[in-house]
Amino acid sequence: MNEALRDKRAAGYLSGARSRKPAHSFAGLTLPQVLFKQAAALGRDHIAIRQKAYGIWQALNWEDYLRFVRQTALGLWSLGLRRGDNLALVVDNEPEWLFSELGAQCLGAVSVNLFTSAVAKEILHGIDRINARYVIVQDQEQADKLLENKDQLPGVERVVYMDPTGMRHCSQSPWLISFAQLLQAGEVVDREEPDLFEKLLRQGKSSDTAVMIMTSGTTGLPKMVMLSHDNFAAMATQWMASNPIKTGDNWISISPPAWIVDQMWGVGITIFSGMVMNFPETAATVTEDFREIGPHIIITSSRFWEDLASKIRVKISDAGPIKRGFYNLAQKIGEAVIKKEEKGLALSVPQKALKSLAYWTVSRPLLDRIGCLQFRTALTGGHPISPDVIRFFRINGLNLKQCYGMTEACGIFQVQPDGQVKPETVGTSLPGALVKINPDQEVLVSGPSIFQGYYENPEATAEALEDGWLHTGDAGYIDDAGHLVILGRKQDIMRTRDGEPFAPDFIETRLKFDPYIKEAVIWGEGQPYVSAFINIDFENVGLWAEERQIPYTTYLDLSRQPAVAELICKRVQRTNQALPEAMRLAKILLLYKLLDADDEELTRTGKVRRKFVAQRYQELIDALYGDKTELAVKGKVHYRDGTIGTIETTLQILSLT
Amino acid sequence: MKSFRGEPSIVAEARPDDKRADLELRDIVLKFGGITALNRINLKVDTGELSAVIGPNGAGKTSLLNCITGYYKPQKGSIVFNGRDVTGLSTHELTVIGIGRTFQNIELFAGMSVLSNMLLARNLHCRYNLAHACLFSRSVRREEVRHRRILEELIDFLEMQAIRKELVGSLPYGMRKRVELGRALALEPKILILDEPLAGMTLEEKEDMVRFLVELNHAWHQTMILVEHDMSIVMGISQKIAVLDFGVKIAEGAPEDIRNHPEVIKAYLGQASGA
Repeated sequence: MNEALRDKRAAGYLSGARSRKPAHSFAGLTLPQVLFKQAAALGRDHIAIRQKAYGIWQALNWEDYLRFVRQTALGLWSLGLRRGDNLALVVDNEPEWLFSELGAQCLGAVSVNLFTSAVAKEILHGIDRINARYVIVQDQEQADKLLENKDQLPGVERVVYMDPTGMRHCSQSPWLISFAQLLQAGEVVDREEPDLFEKLLRQGKSSDTAVMIMTSGTTGLPKMVMLSHDNFAAMATQWMASNPIKTGDNWISISPPAWIVDQMWGVGITIFSGMVMNFPETAATVTEDFREIGPHIIITSSRFWEDLASKIRVKISDAGPIKRGFYNLAQKIGEAVIKKEEKGLALSVPQKALKSLAYWTVSRPLLDRIGCLQFRTALTGGHPISPDVIRFFRINGLNLKQCYGMTEACGIFQVQPDGQVKPETVGTSLPGALVKINPDQEVLVSGPSIFQGYYENPEATAEALEDGWLHTGDAGYIDDAGHLVILGRKQDIMRTRDGEPFAPDFIETRLKFDPYIKEAVIWGEGQPYVSAFINIDFENVGLWAEERQIPYTTYLDLSRQPAVAELICKRVQRTNQALPEAMRLAKILLLYKLLDADDEELTRTGKVRRKFVAQRYQELIDALYGDKTELAVKGKVHYRDGTIGTIETTLQILSLT
Repeated sequence: MKSFRGEPSIVAEARPDDKRADLELRDIVLKFGGITALNRINLKVDTGELSAVIGPNGAGKTSLLNCITGYYKPQKGSIVFNGRDVTGLSTHELTVIGIGRTFQNIELFAGMSVLSNMLLARNLHCRYNLAHACLFSRSVRREEVRHRRILEELIDFLEMQAIRKELVGSLPYGMRKRVELGRALALEPKILILDEPLAGMTLEEKEDMVRFLVELNHAWHQTMILVEHDMSIVMGISQKIAVLDFGVKIAEGAPEDIRNHPEVIKAYLGQASGA
């Protein structure tokens, strides 16, 4: 660490504290109030929402958008939803989600999204936490989770279901109504009291809570983050000031509504900027729909890019020799170009010609294939990403940048500026956000987008918010160029027995870039060396095995093949060489099952819950630091229907030295 | 989306008469040389019913279906559909009057896409002739759009959005069965005859298929005859069951009656107990 850096840190160096743009005409309004203004300004000429249904993109304009929000709001009003109430949503990415969320906000109520992939217990817990009297669910599958446990939900008065398929047998129950009925009820109220909607809308204050979002809870029970309309406005202002966002730009809604990214963009920024919210047809058609829409901007988890990169690599290795040759050539050209650009050197004339040749023959068609041609900004966040993945996409002409944000800060506040993309940093702050580093290396952030607090949890709020500074819980530093570098979770920074510090995240993301490795969990706190659990990538390793005519049946069977163990050892050794001495892995083992959110080993957003994993597999961790080369284990697997299965097998402890 | 776009047009635009399907089989006898495949079978299916035909291997279930759909001509007896004697009509004539079917061994065009396979079924509902089609006039285009819309509604209902452009030959078995159901539904049949729609499927595929069948019957008011091996599923979803054994109908009634019927138990379990 150099001298200048230490000074900056001691002084609580503020990065990117540029002056804020003058408040625009939407200042001091709630989200539905902004929608009201947008509907008047953009009206029928602009598309607000697109959804692919029956094979074609069906559009709603801004007037339609407001009309449905109005009907939903009044429908909820007729059920009895009032100011201060909470509404639970268990929905997928569909327009009704927006109508429900904004409709509740019109009344001064607050909505909370729960994951549709959650098991019944988690959903009941969520509903109970917020004392929701009304729940809006996606379809029969979600409704069944509530119906089967109706006796545990005495507070729930009505359940509204969106998709009527398979619900006919429930139509007699007064507990359930369809979303269509809700809209009809809203229409009736609107006819009887035409002024009611405007009256309710005017009562909203921008300092009210707009939504609550469950934090992913890598460290324990999830907390509810309360975000106000002002937070959303601040976030939108920051983004619109620093990025070229135009009315009519496309956003594609593919991350779950229970997550901050689609709340901040899909609900917040699209309404403020007049962007189009696009909903794919089904989860299975996302790739195709993505390509048809060609979004202008995307923020998604690092896993999305990692999966995409490994998919492209596998496809290329399956391609014919001519295509492969062209591709490899383009990679070489791209690598040379990137190397020069990173150093800030100008390209020579032949290099420029080669670059454009590679772009037109390989990169452009490739980007078009994956629907990434229209991107002005492509961001990855949520979890540290391997620099190799970033480089992979940049070589292929995609301007993939890292960003950093938190649910508690209403989304992303730190982005790599164009032309200054350094793989290890998360860039500079957006205008309006202030970032400083505590003496204990913790990253703090402040600004108008910082949340109001945790719902009914003042202790946690006091812990996270101090004098307007949000404690992110991440350790990091600010480099010479003023870019923030995140090392990992503050409490996750580990030290070996000799006191050598290492960041498990750092190693894991590098391991996971390997197409054959799906997930890795690093151990080594207080131990003589670093070791890891590895989940092999079933698809890619399976293909590899098929090519070599190695027969296998299940994931368990594949992971036990000696040839696979040898393959993974080789791959890990290769990664090892790129790691600093202290972080190199000495022993690994291949887990007999994939880590899964249903077993509470991952969060619903796909992050590893290290503590839970450590508890569950303590025996295996001990074995990594013992002399054994084999270990008999008995594991439990939770299925989604609530049953528990067991796996009995023998694990190999693989030594790399 | 479904909450504000209304019911699919295939349901919403159906007139009550389109769904009328009263089928009656009277004393059907079918012989192959010296073998009597069906012996004096009587069967009645009313509009809106989901009825099932079950029985051990070789009981004559598929033969019965083939009689109804015109593949076999019974030597004796008559088949009456909506008050009209349809005995001896050919398969394509029966399709026109509203009898649609799926096959036990999938009969799709493997080299064509899911959409093309289903579009074929719409030929029945085409109102334009070759000359019009060559000109591709506005009315033809309008009609084509309507056909496509109906197919898309079926694709949506059967959750096949991700495979609509795939070649049928590249699909897994369970999916192909689903495509076949889609094609049969594209005929807009008054009565739908399903020959072992669940055979050879994984548990998950079976669950999906049962969900579709139940929804078709409940929400779309589709009259159906189901031939199936899987007793537990048949008991769970059908309103009326007929049991065949060696070409003879040994029992008929509601699922709960069939379950405890001594003849049925004997046919399925052999002569084991008592006899």
